[in-house]
Amino acid sequence: MKESTIMKIHYGTALAAVALVAVHILMRLMGGFAESLEYENVLANYKFVPYAAMLELILILLSVHGFNGLRVILLELKQGRIYEKSVSYGCLAAMIGLIAYGSRTIIMINMGLV
Amino acid sequence: MPQDEHREGIKGMANPSRYGIERVAYWLMRLSGLGLLAYFVAHIYETSNILRGQVGWDEFLELTQTTEGHIFLGIVIAMCVFHTVNGIRVMLGHGGVGIGKPARPDYPYEPASQNYRHKIGIYSAILLAAIAMMYGLAVMFGE
Repeated sequence: MKESTIMKIHYGTALAAVALVAVHILMRLMGGFAESLEYENVLANYKFVPYAAMLELILILLSVHGFNGLRVILLELKQGRIYEKSVSYGCLAAMIGLIAYGSRTIIMINMGLV
Repeated sequence: MPQDEHREGIKGMANPSRYGIERVAYWLMRLSGLGLLAYFVAHIYETSNILRGQVGWDEFLELTQTTEGHIFLGIVIAMCVFHTVNGIRVMLGHGGVGIGKPARPDYPYEPASQNYRHKIGIYSAILLAAIAMMYGLAVMFGE
């Protein structure tokens, strides 16, 4: 993929994540910060499908943005064909791994497996 | 090949005091990005503790809902706000907003892109990050 396309994705994911994370934080502040972290409240959040879908979207957006950011930082430090390929595929693998791990939590609770 | 005695390598590049507030913003952007990525990974792991049931969740909450935990979260809020505001500034700059018009380079060769608009953007990002951190700490310690 062209670097210019990757940067457009980087900026797009950033702007979308800012809006969704703002909603996520507002949900924590509504009705008190400590209360919102109580087990029943968190469980109810995950079982509410639109909110769970939003969490999944945040997970994907931030994983893509975060690991691409890490890739950019690592490519700034050092260059080379093998190094660049290792960094790019390593970041992609880490991104997929994190999305899979986070999705597991969201899906299991949303489907009532806890 | 004789080594240039003035060549400082990465140490020279990393020196935030030599190249003005733009270089400070460059480093803060990268450091806050890495910090936020580390926090994000930890947050995904933290929330997965809910799968262990109420006992597991409460046990993990006890670890994070402490004075140190709140201070750590305050720093995360500051990093988040700085990264967002400075990121928007960088995006606007890449889009050609606020970087001035191309002109003939004349002495003292001041880069048109490093102008007061972007400097204000950087200082605003730092200020907003500090305000957000104070607000976050007030919310967390206020309960």
